[in-house]
Amino acid sequence: MRALEPWVVDPLQSFLTESSARLTLLMTTSGQVVAQHGFSRSLDVMTAAALGAGIVASTEELARLMGASRFGALVHHGVGQSCLLSAFATPRGRWIGLVVFGPETSVGIVQLFFDQMVQQLMTAAPREQAASPMLAENFESELNASLKALFGR
Amino acid sequence: MSDDIRSLTDRLAAEPSSLAFLELGEALRRRGQLEAAYKVARGGAGRYPGLADAHDLMARILSDQADLAGAFDSWSSALQLDPMRVSALKGIAFLYFRAGDAVAALDHLQRAAEVDPDDPSIVQAIERVRREVITAGPPPEAEASAPSPVPASPTVTSTPPTRSETAFDGVDGGEQGQLLVDSNGLRLGGTLARVDGFDASDRVAAELAGASREAARATRLLGLGGWHSIALECPDGHMVLSSPTADTVLLTVRDHSLPMARVGLLAERAARAARSWLERVG
Amino acid sequence: MSPTEAALDRVTRIPGVRGVLLVTGSDGLVVAEQLMDGVDGRAAAALTASLVGRLSRAAESAGLRPPAFVHVRGDTGSVLAAPAAVDLVLVAVVGPDANVGLARLEMIEAASRLD
Repeated sequence: MRALEPWVVDPLQSFLTESSARLTLLMTTSGQVVAQHGFSRSLDVMTAAALGAGIVASTEELARLMGASRFGALVHHGVGQSCLLSAFATPRGRWIGLVVFGPETSVGIVQLFFDQMVQQLMTAAPREQAASPMLAENFESELNASLKALFGR
Repeated sequence: MSDDIRSLTDRLAAEPSSLAFLELGEALRRRGQLEAAYKVARGGAGRYPGLADAHDLMARILSDQADLAGAFDSWSSALQLDPMRVSALKGIAFLYFRAGDAVAALDHLQRAAEVDPDDPSIVQAIERVRREVITAGPPPEAEASAPSPVPASPTVTSTPPTRSETAFDGVDGGEQGQLLVDSNGLRLGGTLARVDGFDASDRVAAELAGASREAARATRLLGLGGWHSIALECPDGHMVLSSPTADTVLLTVRDHSLPMARVGLLAERAARAARSWLERVG
Repeated sequence: MSPTEAALDRVTRIPGVRGVLLVTGSDGLVVAEQLMDGVDGRAAAALTASLVGRLSRAAESAGLRPPAFVHVRGDTGSVLAAPAAVDLVLVAVVGPDANVGLARLEMIEAASRLD
């Protein structure tokens, strides 16, 4: 498990222990990765983050068209693996969690401890630092730095 | 010293070759004076090696002293001399039952019943052992270690039960249908055989560690504190999980004919035995 | 009253029962519930379904059929579960003074009616 910000570590580790999730990705709504567990290649992380953020954006737009409030979570049930996508508010802005899990756990367990992790992130997040504006010329270098941190290189 | 022991001691002292040693040894054994009883019995058995009563007395004393292998040898000697000796057949059946070999225990009890069909204690013992056989099935090593039936000839080929202490000594059924597991899902004691004879001990042990952690999590998060026990009623058997110590889990499995609450009591007793054993060996 | 509501109702009336839920066995999600304040239905559903599933696998490894009733006893109460067919489990959270024997009978009966 790797995280860019140290205050994410404990809540995420607790979630991983309790949920038995196989893969977990925390990212901003723009697809910037905050933490990951289980991925072995940086390309997979980038791809999953981009796709996850896109799916959440599409789903939220769908909810808006339906006149409904935001959907709490999206679950895709697969044969050998399932996937949960959920957006949530943090003091650092809106984040998205992508969790892949197998039959060794259940969607009920994953959701239960995902919500618990969100509560813990809300509590643990430092309040004093405002996020700096993202500039295009900084994006790639920041992404590369993030990937290095996330994969321990 | 009681009057009977005094008078028997006087008799034996006056006539060392008398059979008073049998009565004296038994009286001392019943009073719990096992060391003294052993000395008396050893002296008498040495004088009368061909007397089945002497070996029978020695076996009872050794059994009380928890020298189960010695007791087995003595009862075997008694049966060599008197193949229809009911007390020796019952004694050996008891030792096999304690060692977890319910099949061999049942075999000896049935032979005792053939000799003395009116003894109610034999009938009750057979019923109880039969329940254990149904619940746990024959242990995989039973075929190899079970002794051949005692023949009319003096030669007895028997394998004595293990002398090593088990976690469930003194518990109904012994090690059969009990599994003591550490926090890593590794077996510490007990055996669990399926009805088809397959030894499921290690496989079930591996499942139990995770079950214990999940139970602890569930009761904690639901505001129920720690967990004490888990009882499962299955159509073909009952299971009770308990936690003798913080790092171990105990599974007790019994046939469904036994009421669930009774299985719970058995499990409590087994947990106490396991706890004591862990304190001694740990 | 639907069979599901009737099932929950029977069990809720037993003294000491703090909450009753019908949950999916494989997902641990709530299908229906009747809960007192302070009982976390989502947690009860997810945690109990997961535990019952694991215990069922242990029973299967031991050569037994899946359980018809499960009683998890804690310091200050118990969780009871009666699996029904079609991947449903009837779950009850009870206090230490609950009549577990009666709850067991009602839950097994209610679970059988859900088949």
